[in-house]
Amino acid sequence: MLAYTLKRLLAGIVTVWFIATATFTAMHMVPGDPLMNDKAVSAEIRANLERKYGLDKSAPEQYVIFMKNMLSGDFGISFTQQNRQVNDIIRDHFPVSATLGIMAIFFATIGGVLWGALTALYRNRLPDIIIMFLVILGISVPSFVFAALGQLLLVNINSLFGASIIPVAGWGTFSHMLMPSMVLGLGTMALLTRLMRSSMLEIVNEDYIRTARAKGLSPSRIFFRHQLRNAILPVITVLGPQIAAITTGGFVVELVFAIPGLGRYFVQAVQQLDYTVIMGTTVFYGAFLVLMVILVDILYGFIDPRVRLS
Amino acid sequence: MSDMDDAYKDKILEVENLNVEFSTYGGVVQAVRGVNFSVGRGETLAIVGESGCGKSVTVQSIMGLIPTPPGKITAGEARLRGNNILNLPAKEANKFRGVEIGMIFQDPMTSLNPTMTIGDQISETLMVHRHLSYADASAKAVALLDKTRIPEAKKRAAQYPFEFSGGMLQRAMIAQSLACNPSVLIADEPTTALDVTIQAQILELMSELQKTEDMSIILITHDLAVVAKMADRVAVMYAGQIVEMGAVDEIFYESAHPYTMGLKEAMPSNRNDRAKKLTPIEGSPPDLFSPPAGCGYYARCPHAMKLCETKQSEEFILSSNSSHFSKCWLQHPEAPKTDGLFQAGDEHAS
Ligand SMILES: Nc1ncnc2c1ncn2[C@@H]1O[C@H](COP(=O)(O)OP(=O)(O)OP(=O)(O)O)[C@@H](O)[C@H]1O
Ligand code: SF4
Ligand SMILES: [Mg+2]
Repeated sequence: MLAYTLKRLLAGIVTVWFIATATFTAMHMVPGDPLMNDKAVSAEIRANLERKYGLDKSAPEQYVIFMKNMLSGDFGISFTQQNRQVNDIIRDHFPVSATLGIMAIFFATIGGVLWGALTALYRNRLPDIIIMFLVILGISVPSFVFAALGQLLLVNINSLFGASIIPVAGWGTFSHMLMPSMVLGLGTMALLTRLMRSSMLEIVNEDYIRTARAKGLSPSRIFFRHQLRNAILPVITVLGPQIAAITTGGFVVELVFAIPGLGRYFVQAVQQLDYTVIMGTTVFYGAFLVLMVILVDILYGFIDPRVRLS
Repeated sequence: MSDMDDAYKDKILEVENLNVEFSTYGGVVQAVRGVNFSVGRGETLAIVGESGCGKSVTVQSIMGLIPTPPGKITAGEARLRGNNILNLPAKEANKFRGVEIGMIFQDPMTSLNPTMTIGDQISETLMVHRHLSYADASAKAVALLDKTRIPEAKKRAAQYPFEFSGGMLQRAMIAQSLACNPSVLIADEPTTALDVTIQAQILELMSELQKTEDMSIILITHDLAVVAKMADRVAVMYAGQIVEMGAVDEIFYESAHPYTMGLKEAMPSNRNDRAKKLTPIEGSPPDLFSPPAGCGYYARCPHAMKLCETKQSEEFILSSNSSHFSKCWLQHPEAPKTDGLFQAGDEHAS
């Protein structure tokens, strides 16, 4: 297990390096540069600024400097926000995005496993049919639609009580977080429900379930001790990519709910070609996702002895 | 033969007129059509027959393992010490499943839960049925693994199925099925998925445990060599029915049904007549969606008569203690004499 984890970590580092290099290359291939936004800079000022930010150097030189700084954990200063450190931006806003994302994943996983197991139990009966219809909606409708609908629902609830029971937008308290994280997790929950359902139905026909019945175990014991654990395995495998999906989906939800997360800065930075912020947030997100995928793999190994022990 | 006769009287499990069908898209499959047999204390009953003849469905019906739907037990009784155990709800069935009747399956590789240790899977049975603590049940599980000759049982108990070989897994399955000292062990082709050398070891272990644990065994197989080695009595199944049943010597040396004869001729013998040609049975079993009105073997039978096509034979009893019967018109007093087949009125070999 240790060797396995180390191997995964090493592969993760290579992935992050690749992400950094790809972003660097892509950014230097996009026409324009961050200084274009400051209108009417004289050639002299421009030259000064270029020197300050190192833009006068050749691309390979810039790449080496960027890599060096990155290794020492320094992503530089933002081009567009007066002398603000990229590290500060990440430090101030990432915890908000992470809280939102973690709540969404939590909500999606618990919901997906429960609904999936339920639909499998009630296969082809009313609860199954209703839930599976909702699942199709959840998978096919984009999250900004749910975000808007969610806000509308909150507005209605609040006006029904004549008071602001649950805030419609913003961030701060737990009640701020509920609706956006549910909206954000909905698509993933739908997907996991479907996966869990088919996985449960497949496992009912496994030989070891027949053995469990031949042993005289009660249906509920078979369900919890033999079916559920094995059925969750495929759900966990898609959790890694789903965390990525939720993270990127978070950009939109943050915007709709006016949540001061990192996503907003990321989108802004891309619009303004703010090199350092783009680089910083992309590499940071990349590293975060890679770490999450590794954590999910370790979790998988924890549940599946075949992975853990071999 | 006399202690076998005694065993036959002391019946633990009696199956009477068992009928099982499956509703499929193609129609209703009549998988088992009126099966009768009984198992005496301490004896081994082998059930043999071609693939698809209903062997597994028969024993799984007894255990309540038939998936319903599509399956349905339409008639019959299975009595365990006199009490009917067919069609019981799970709660009632679990009083005998794994307790009075244990079962092992063809493929040990897939028959154990891959994410649970072998020890936990065995102790689970003990905790559920015998209400042992986890510690006591785990200790007993190790003892059971030891009993089935698994080396380093303690270490093995903490391992998962994927760390075991096929033979070792089947031993673990046997250990698990013995946990509550069942009086009947049902083994559905327990060695078919294993290497030949391992097969012999598993069979040996089973006969040994049968004596020490005083169990009856229902052994399903298509290997007549296994039958010869293990069985006291044999039921020959064909197209959902038992067509001949008798003591193992009666089945081998006084075969009274053409299908039994066919099975024997299709079997490779490992002794002197190796040079003898094997003759597989021509044709295939009848379609169980619409079973024939007459004898199921009619289309393949070398002795088929006119009557056989339209009317099913009764079970003709061939031995005085009524252990041997054949479901074939050739046993009718007016049937023509046939070379090779044992017929009513023939001298018994023994
Ligand atoms: N779940 C099911 N659905 C539909 N038909 C079934 C089902 N299970 C069994 N059958 C049918 O019942 C018949 C008997 O099957 P069974 O498994 O008892 O055969 P078998 O004698 O055990 O054969 P084998 O030697 O291959 O194990 C087969 O014709 C099969 O098509
Ligand atoms: S009843 Fe007729 S067809 Fe059937 S096995 Fe006997 S002789 Fe053959
Ligand atoms: Mg079978």
